[in-house]
Amino acid sequence: MIINLLNRALLMSTPLLFGALAEVVAERSGMMVTAIEGIFLVGAWGGFVGSYLTGSTTVGILMAMCSGLVVACIYGGITIFMKQHQVVTGTALNILAAGFCTYFQRVIFGVPTSPLKITPLANLPIPFLSGIPVIGPVIFNQNILTYIVYLLIPAVYFMLYRTSIGLTIRSTGENPEAVDVAGISVNKIRFMTVLLAGIMGGLAGSFYSVGYLGMFTSNIIGGRGWIAFAICFLGNWNPRGAVIGTLVFGFAEAISIYMQTIGGGEYFPNEFFIALPYILTIVLTVSRKNFNVPAKLGIPYSKEN
Amino acid sequence: MDAKSRDLIITNLLAISAGLVLSGFALIFLGVDPIAVFGNALKTIFTDKYTLGDVFLKATPLIFTALAFAFTFKANLFNIGAQGQFYMGAIVAIAVSLKLDGLIPTGLLLAVVCLLTFIAGGLVGGLIGFLKARFNANEFLVSMMSTYVVLALMNYLLRTFLKESKGEYPQTDALTRAAWIPTLVGGTRLHMGFVLAVLAAVGVWVLLYKTPLGYRIRAVGSNAQAAEMSGINSKRIYITAFFISGALAGLAGFTEVNGVQHMLIQGFNTGIGSAGLGIAILANANPIGIIFASILFGALNVIGNLMGRMPGINIPSSIIELMQGCVMIFVIISYYARSYMDNRREKSKLKKVEES
Repeated sequence: MIINLLNRALLMSTPLLFGALAEVVAERSGMMVTAIEGIFLVGAWGGFVGSYLTGSTTVGILMAMCSGLVVACIYGGITIFMKQHQVVTGTALNILAAGFCTYFQRVIFGVPTSPLKITPLANLPIPFLSGIPVIGPVIFNQNILTYIVYLLIPAVYFMLYRTSIGLTIRSTGENPEAVDVAGISVNKIRFMTVLLAGIMGGLAGSFYSVGYLGMFTSNIIGGRGWIAFAICFLGNWNPRGAVIGTLVFGFAEAISIYMQTIGGGEYFPNEFFIALPYILTIVLTVSRKNFNVPAKLGIPYSKEN
Repeated sequence: MDAKSRDLIITNLLAISAGLVLSGFALIFLGVDPIAVFGNALKTIFTDKYTLGDVFLKATPLIFTALAFAFTFKANLFNIGAQGQFYMGAIVAIAVSLKLDGLIPTGLLLAVVCLLTFIAGGLVGGLIGFLKARFNANEFLVSMMSTYVVLALMNYLLRTFLKESKGEYPQTDALTRAAWIPTLVGGTRLHMGFVLAVLAAVGVWVLLYKTPLGYRIRAVGSNAQAAEMSGINSKRIYITAFFISGALAGLAGFTEVNGVQHMLIQGFNTGIGSAGLGIAILANANPIGIIFASILFGALNVIGNLMGRMPGINIPSSIIELMQGCVMIFVIISYYARSYMDNRREKSKLKKVEES
């Protein structure tokens, strides 16, 4: 049971980790990707449509990444090049994404008599490693997206702290003038990180539809994009913090699903477990004292002339 | 009219039309002629009194949630949780109304419910403001998450304490007529709540621009440090602004429960928090502008519903969100267009000065 629960926790952490890592990179460059909820949603939708129509989950996931990229492109265009408010633009895009996905789901599939299903991604146990007691079935018996995220954690960490591009990204969030003086375009760097967040966010979204549920509903994301956004804050804008934060949330979500299936409602109402990840966010937001906010987070850059 | 306000009107109208045209293209995918459908819907609105009333009916809660966002926005705070504060208002409205229904006269009942929803929404908002002031918690995140918590609370109550006496669906019993907000215009569903919303908008305008408190709120909004230096207690402002903001959103719960639904059901008005935010942007957070922008969004809502009911064609109601989203994006872009035009005007002015 414990093994099952931990396995579940890692599974549920996967999309949050994609989202949170993407958000960390973007916010380090000074961009809050507030469209993340919408990016998750179009990812879930694009992934579903792609997989359903072609029968290939790979195509579905690629489609999800492209859908996320498109939203990120609009978001970046408006917030970076037109210097509009990030929170406001993000909210507008989230509404648009919700309307778009629900509407075109209907356009493409009409009103189906039974829910449309695709086969979710299968677990790929890794030979030998999955045989290790406890750790094996928990860590090495997951689907492909979870394995990708394992690799992504050190990759993002390395990129941010050990490469010159990472240094540039971090400087863009702290001191864009210096980056500009060094002859690097601040806006271009920011746009790149937002596009990256679009691709990773789309991938995260596809996890819910293609990777896990095998279907699409308009409330499939239900605020999880925002949780990824929150994890980035709570993880103090670094990948390590994001990993810890995500695991806590994944665990909360796994417990919540587990309690609902065994009928924990006798002692606690189900709604309590549904609300648990959100309550946790509030508690952690309140209890966190020392934030290391990127200095220019959310502030558009313009050269003074 | 000066060039600035001319730009404002023209760019806003252009943005709204662009948004509608773009969402009109979405109709083509369903094999529907967008112009005919739009025309048809507009004709119904202007010829049918009941439908016209619905435009203002739908605008009512939006005015409240838009004011809620605009109010904290003036203090440079983000209340993204209007949806949750609205739900809290709705819970209190239905619970109190069901308790008092038939016991006391309508006028008194409505006054009590109105006051209590105001306080209920205000407490949720005030709590967020308190967390911000006391613990420096990020109000954006806390308010965002609070909606999901209140939603879970509402679903729980609908399943247990507030569940209908038949015990079949997760919804409450219906209120009797004695607890309804009286209608404003006969033959429509439009109720007095609309007047309340307009009064609230005017009230917010007066509060923000004609009172010391409003001045302090705006001072904190434009530069919290400078405001603090001049003796304004910015922490208290955070709490006050959030309380009033939440209270306004709570009132939407009152007008929706007692004025429209007369009961509380699951999955109730899910989009009014975010639509309110869109409206506040459209109106540049100006309380009076919010009234008009809300009526526009109310109209989009009604048009979307009318499209769904047109015989022979089957347009899903998600077209409403699609239209609202498109309009919002173009309105945001129009802000850019305006600052661009403004810049050019200033530059040409400077040039003239240099030449002379």
